[in-house]
Amino acid sequence: MNTAGWIFMLVSLTLVWGTTIWAYTRLLSAPPQEAQSDDDE
Amino acid sequence: MNGEKKKMVWGSQVGVILAVAGSAVGLGNFLRFPGQAAAHGGGAFMIPYICALLLLALPIGWAEWAMARHGGRKGFHSGPAILGLAGRGRIARYFGILAILVPMVVYMYYVYIEAWCLRYAWEYATGGIQLAGPITDQTRDAAVFFDQATGTDKDGVLNMSAAFWLFVVSINIILVYRGLKGGIEKFCQFALPAMAILAVVVLVRVLTLGTPNPDFPDQNVLNGLGYLWNPDFSKLGEFKTWLAAAGQVFFSLSVGFGVILNYASYLKKKDDLALSGFTASATNELFEVGFGGLITITAAFVFLGVSGVGGGFGLGFKTLPVVFAQMGGAGRWIGFAWFFLLFLAAITSSISMLQPVKTFFEEALAITSGKAIAAVSVVCGLGSFWVMWFSKDMVALNTMDFWVGTFCIFLLATVQIICFGWIWGTENGARELDQGALMRIPRFFFFIMKYVAPAYLLVVLIGFVLSDGRAEFAALRGNQVALYTMILVGVVIAMLVVMVAIGERRWRAAGLDLDGKQP
Repeated sequence: MNTAGWIFMLVSLTLVWGTTIWAYTRLLSAPPQEAQSDDDE
Repeated sequence: MNGEKKKMVWGSQVGVILAVAGSAVGLGNFLRFPGQAAAHGGGAFMIPYICALLLLALPIGWAEWAMARHGGRKGFHSGPAILGLAGRGRIARYFGILAILVPMVVYMYYVYIEAWCLRYAWEYATGGIQLAGPITDQTRDAAVFFDQATGTDKDGVLNMSAAFWLFVVSINIILVYRGLKGGIEKFCQFALPAMAILAVVVLVRVLTLGTPNPDFPDQNVLNGLGYLWNPDFSKLGEFKTWLAAAGQVFFSLSVGFGVILNYASYLKKKDDLALSGFTASATNELFEVGFGGLITITAAFVFLGVSGVGGGFGLGFKTLPVVFAQMGGAGRWIGFAWFFLLFLAAITSSISMLQPVKTFFEEALAITSGKAIAAVSVVCGLGSFWVMWFSKDMVALNTMDFWVGTFCIFLLATVQIICFGWIWGTENGARELDQGALMRIPRFFFFIMKYVAPAYLLVVLIGFVLSDGRAEFAALRGNQVALYTMILVGVVIAMLVVMVAIGERRWRAAGLDLDGKQP
């Protein structure tokens, strides 16, 4: 594998792992929502 | 909308995300993506791929989430009703039939491929696939097994795969019948982590293969990765590279499929949409790039060299068994892990196709969930049986895949983004997406949704038809199975038109805001 291949692979993997971890962390650290009544639906 | 019915709800926000991600992660992530990337510039393919992700798939996905929850609050959970609401009238509602046609017809052939995956996993677990002798003999034996297992050698053959098909169809029906929370969500909460574990197991094995054959020192893991990732920038100048990237991102993320329109319609007013849509897409990308981009091509290259890495489904079902045979005793279990991973990826997608269809039957005909799933099972079962019976050269499957599983997806996405950006309006859309949002969508995305995505889609749609459409038209003229398959699709469309007409009359009589006239 050449240097450009390494760069493309590592940048792509960092992007997909990074965004996934960021998204789940943000989602799971959000304060729990209050119960929503049927009127809210 | 039916007060007498038990309300369908999701159990948790993570549950709905895993269900949407499960719908998106399918066979294409592991089999199609690496082949497309390797054929269209390797690492350089990621440039048009990311462009399509940001300009097409992600914005259209967000539009679907927004229109769906808006529709759900008005009492609608099916594609035609939701698009009629966002598109403010009958034309959009009847175009919304595509949101039922696509999952319904794709399910018909997808569930058969799912049965192959389970059969292969079963054969590996029980030692039923044992390839021996020189590589050429193993390659031939793997191809013969594939032809026999899938019936691609002749029409009208029902073999062991039919039993697996029946089993798989039954599991799908049971899971969808159990509902969102107790069936789909619960299953995806198990299946997605299980898929991740299986993918890591296979990935670790592949990345530690080293140079298995000293006679071919160039066939090593690094060169295998290089085959996929070394960029060829000259490919960026070719239109078909951009077309392939758009197609891959699009099909991979399940946008234009009618699934998100249904799933997100059960979310409540203060539930998050923006981060949920983003997270589901990120999860799909993790499986596609993070696993799919490292496993298949690398494994095939290490054992078989450049000649072994071509073809999507062929790579998965014909070449990889030869690769597993070179791994010694561990190959049997790596083979099982691989095909069970594909089976889980497939079933989390197929249940997501059945659910919107079931909902539409309930909503249009005012029947119970049990009757709806029974009716859907009969219609989809017959269509799927057609695919299984006319299996020679996969003509029925390929016809459905092109006209419904490809062309209609582009068409539905175009209809959706026009309804969202030009009829319902990006202001309403932004308001809906901001409601309860755990992340704020950058405002330029609404400009993309209104102007860039529809234009991009039209270019891709026209390019796709011009590049592949002629051959498919010719196939319709020259092959009776292909022609009758299209007639079958036509019958399904006619049935859905009648059902929308019945539903429309019912919804109007019930005083529902089916044309989106009320705020």
